[in-house]
This record gives sequence, structure tokens and C-alpha cells, in this order.
Amino acid sequence: MTRQTCKHRIPSGWPETVSSAVSAALESGRTSAVRHSIQLVDALPDAVRGRGLTIAVARTFTIEPQLDTLKLALATLPCRPNIRVGNLNNVEQELLDPGSSLLAANPDAVLVLWRLEELHEGLVSEYGRWSAEERARAADDVVARIRELCSGFARASSAPLFLSTLPPVRCGRDLSDVHRTDGIEATRYRVNREILDMAAQSRQIHVFDFAGWAALEGRSAFDLKMDLYAQQPISAGALSSFADALRRTLRPIVRPRAKVLALDLDNTLWGGVLGEDGVENLKVGRDYPGNVYLRIQRAVLALKNEGVLLALVSKNNAADVEEAFSRISSLQLSLSDFAAARVNWRSKHENLVEIAEELNVGTDSFVFVDDQAFEREEVAFHLPEVCVLDVTEDPLSILRAILDSDAFDSFRISDEDRGRAADYAAHRERKHLHEQSVSTDAFLGSLKLEATIVDIGDDSLPRVVQMLGKTNQFNVTTRRHAEAKVRAICATPGTAALTLALRDRFGDQGIVGVLLACPGDSTETLHVDSFLLSCRALGRGAELALWSELLRRASANGFRRLTAEYIASAKNAQVADLYDRLGMVRLREDANRCSYELSLPSSAPMPGWIAVNETVEK
Amino acid sequence: MNNTEKLYKVVADLFRVEPAELNEDSSQDTIPNWDSLGMVNLISELEQTFGVEFDLLEIADFKTVGIIKSTLADKGVEF
Repeated sequence: MTRQTCKHRIPSGWPETVSSAVSAALESGRTSAVRHSIQLVDALPDAVRGRGLTIAVARTFTIEPQLDTLKLALATLPCRPNIRVGNLNNVEQELLDPGSSLLAANPDAVLVLWRLEELHEGLVSEYGRWSAEERARAADDVVARIRELCSGFARASSAPLFLSTLPPVRCGRDLSDVHRTDGIEATRYRVNREILDMAAQSRQIHVFDFAGWAALEGRSAFDLKMDLYAQQPISAGALSSFADALRRTLRPIVRPRAKVLALDLDNTLWGGVLGEDGVENLKVGRDYPGNVYLRIQRAVLALKNEGVLLALVSKNNAADVEEAFSRISSLQLSLSDFAAARVNWRSKHENLVEIAEELNVGTDSFVFVDDQAFEREEVAFHLPEVCVLDVTEDPLSILRAILDSDAFDSFRISDEDRGRAADYAAHRERKHLHEQSVSTDAFLGSLKLEATIVDIGDDSLPRVVQMLGKTNQFNVTTRRHAEAKVRAICATPGTAALTLALRDRFGDQGIVGVLLACPGDSTETLHVDSFLLSCRALGRGAELALWSELLRRASANGFRRLTAEYIASAKNAQVADLYDRLGMVRLREDANRCSYELSLPSSAPMPGWIAVNETVEK
Repeated sequence: MNNTEKLYKVVADLFRVEPAELNEDSSQDTIPNWDSLGMVNLISELEQTFGVEFDLLEIADFKTVGIIKSTLADKGVEF
């Protein structure tokens, strides 16, 4: 397990100071930091610390000095852990007697940590000298001992029993061992297979994959010196990772499995932005980075096959999305894999709430994946109960987050679970698209949006020409002016040629809006030639800020009339009613064009959630 | 923090005593929490704090803070 995959998950309800201390303590594994963090967590109110969880540990080696780290890792589930450790190498004595110190504590879970070295010392140390019969008998003894433990435990306790698989034996083996079907390694495989079989046959028995952890941790998992000095094999450096593996194994006791995986589409399930780049330029396939998106889709499909409901939440035109799913043959997912879909321009949290109602599942059972920090923050702000995966725009981070997420963990996956996703998909009715409504809610205020609206200048001209050439979705006329044409427009007296740059608390997005308005046939008329926003800036109300500034200037410059038009393209349906929403009056409309006017002077308020830094007129 | 202070802090944090109470004669006899399990943690913490590794013979000799200090000094930790 690498550092990246053993990222410590801290409950969202914990104060930042506690979260960061706990995170750092689990990262370092240092005793003083761990103990300090435990004190911080113990001081939190019970409501955010979760339920009490008593774990009884029967073991064949020393772990007492390492319990604080285990306790802290478990506390992040969250729960209030009480870890009780049985006497060294007294597994049967502790687990077969209902009155033993471990079982008398009425544990919520019982964990058995053991190794082949202690389960059958001779089997490891005497192996070379034994005959084939003696070896076989010893292996049979170990298997019989584990079977008897399981059947006896079922009579003594109703608590779930977590059996560890046996990690590799580190001494007394040579290369020839793995070439023998009765070698130490073959025996270990046999016992581990037996443990898996027992777990498969009993609902009371679960597996803690100690061997799997050791395999991923490798050489650094165990410390022979401390094993010999104190019979404490788990190394100090691997303790955090061990604690995390244990935390994840026990998690389903405390946390039910998430039911819905809600996914963004552009740059999450495929590379590129459908509305901007076009179907043919989307990246998903055999070559990097398309292969990462391919793997993401496969991981998502695997979750669906395990009963997770998929939901699609994308800001796109529905027709484009349908076309893309039908045309791209390398896609692993099809639209019918989604139990619910919202492809529209509304805020994602509204769509998630609707999907929750449609699927009759609480939003606290949702996991949300989106490459855009804005969308993740928006969902986390409105729906703090949703598990928002921590990803970046790097598709590899999305793949890792999905593969490593513990949100869908459960001990057993039934056939009923597996069939659930298919049922939903079969009954799904695709809802019609809703028009974008700009939200003026507290969320946008929390983004600390700052707009800078200035005239186009030499420094911004290349970006303006680039945006005119590329922007498809929020582009009212889709006029692809070349640089010379833009220069000419800017040079015309009375013209308002504006750029809008946007900052929010995530960073500076640069120029994301352009508005060109030139004097028309009569000197009293100003005509909006182009009005566009980058798809990165949608949903923030940036268009309202540009519009407000345009009306202010047009009125101040003595214009009496503002005219504009919407020219439909294959991609810009989302702005079909932009001018209606901005309060203009329709003059004429035909199949793909609609013209508008507005009497001046007029004004529109700046959106309250955007601080406009400067509006310098040339 | 100099290395003596670091050493005393490791011992104090681990065994829940005040650093001011410690001196080179502090031992398993004078510090109640310094038991055999505490020793296991002490070794890990010292190795991580000072970036050294002790062998089992050295560990067996860790009776007092002073002995630990001189063992660390032998490994190049400056006091």
C-alpha cells in the first residue's frame, strides 16, 4: 500500500484543528502525536464521535504498544473504540469460553491476529527435517484447529468473527520451497484458502486480509528485530497502514454501504468537454490519457455490477450526450447503465436531490465524483452528507479515488444487491431537461467571486480571439471573428468591447467572458454582436455582471436602444432564452434566430455575490 | 530544541512525566510507566527521532537515560 492509497479519512463533522492533528498523527505514526490526537478526539462531543465499538482481539503476537494507533484509526470511522486484547497465544481459551475476559465484554467484533509461526511452530522450524507425511499431518492439524475454533466460537458468541489470513513466513524457506506442493508457502496458501472458505460458508465469519496487507506493504511490513525482542512483528513504519487496513475491514459494522455513485461526465468519464471539443475529439480508448478514462468506466461498471446505482449528473445538452453514447464505440458504459440521469444546466446539488427522490434513496447514501472543484464544493456546501470524493482534474486521481473508496464496502454482496441496478435501469424514465436557473444562493456567496471587467486591450486580444473561436455552449451568436475583425470592432467609437476575468477562492480563472457591442445603423442604437462565457465559468452569474456593465455604459454614452439576437447552433441551446431572462423584448423569431431590443437608458443590478473590482473605460 | 531536550521529551511524552523531572540517572526503577511494553515504544520513538538503529545488545543495556544518551552519542548524535 503506498502513501497515496492509504489516505486517512477524517469525519467531516470534526473541527479542522482536530482533523489536521489526527491526519498528521496517523501519517507519522509517532506515539506522542497519536496520543495527543486521541485526547483531542476524546474531547469532541459524542454526536460527532459516533457509536461505541468494542473490539476483542485474540492474537498470537504482541500488539499492545501499537494499540493507540489502532484506536485512533478506528476513531475516524467515526466510532468510540474500546480495544480489548486477550492473553498472548490464548486464542482458543479466549474465544471458546463465553466467560473469558474477551467474550464477557460483549464485543461488537472479535478479531483474530495470528501467524503460521505461532499457529504451528514446528511446521515452520522443523519443516526441513520432516517427512512428507509429517508435513501433511501438521498442515491438517492447523486446518482442523481453525475449523474447531470457528465452530466452537459460534456456540460461545454471536459477535462477528474476523479471521486474519496468514502473512508470509519470513524465515526457514529457500527457493525450493515454492516448488513443492507441500512446502511452507503451499501450506500457508492452503490454510488461507480454508479461512476464505469458512468465511464464505458462515455469515458470522469475516476475513481480515492480513496476508493481503503484508503483500502490498512488502518488506517493510514486519520488523524482525522487534519480533525477536518483544514478539512484536508489525514494524513501526507500517503501523499506520496496518491500522488503516483494520479500520477499513471493520468499517461496515459502523457505516452502511453507500447506494448511489453520482458521476459527472466531461473530464470525469471521458477526456474533454463534449460541448466544446465535439464527440470525435473526446478521449476514451486504448491510449493515454483515454485509457485512464476507460479504466474509470470499467471501475464504475464493476460497482454497478455489485449493486451500486449509477447516476449521471452532467452540464450538457441531452441530445449531445445521447449522440456521444451512441457514437463512441470505445465507451464501457452505456446510458442504460445509469439508474438516473440529469443532463441539464442546473446546479448539481439540485439534481442530486431530485435523483435521491426519484430513486427513493437518501442523499446520505450518495458518493459524488466530479473533476471540477467548483462542482464538488457546491455539492459539499449544500449536501454535506454526500460523500464527495477528493480528486483533482488528473484522471488518474479520479481512477484512484474510485478504486480506493471504502464507501461501497460491505461484508457480503447478495444476488439481490447485484440485480438492483438492473431493476432501476429498466424502470427509469428519462426526465426532460430543465433550463438553467442562475442561483443567487448562499453557495455563490461563499465562493468569494471577484470579477474584473475591462475593455479588450492588446494583452487580452489573443485570449478573446481564442474564446470566439472555441466557445460553443454559452455563445449567443457563435461569430468566429478573426483578430483583425476584433481590432476593428474595438476601434469603432462607442463600442463596448468587454472582457470579464473571474477569481474565486479556488484560484484565478483568467478571462472567462467576452461581450462585444457596436453602434448599429443608427447612432442611437447599440447592437450586441457577441456574448460568450467559457464553460468553466457557467453557473456563477458572470453573464449578469457583464450585462449590468454593458447597460451602464450604453446608457451613460447616450444610446437610446439596445438590440441583440440569438442565433441557434448545434451546441448553444442553453442560451436560447438568455435575452428573455435578461428582460429584453422579442422582436422577430424564426427557426434558428430570434432578435431582441431594449429601450435605454436602463440598468440591471450587479449580482450581489460577485465583487466587481474595476470597470475601467478606455 | 537540542538533542538532550529531544531525548528527554521522547522519554517524558512516552512515560507521562515532566521533562524537568528527568536526569541521566532516570531509569526503569524511577519511572513507573517504563515497563517492558514501554521499552518497545521507546526504541521505536528513539530510532525515528534520531534516525538511528539500535541492535539487540544495545537495547538489552538500556537501563538508564544516561546509557541511552551515550549509546546515541556513539552513533554520532551530538550532545
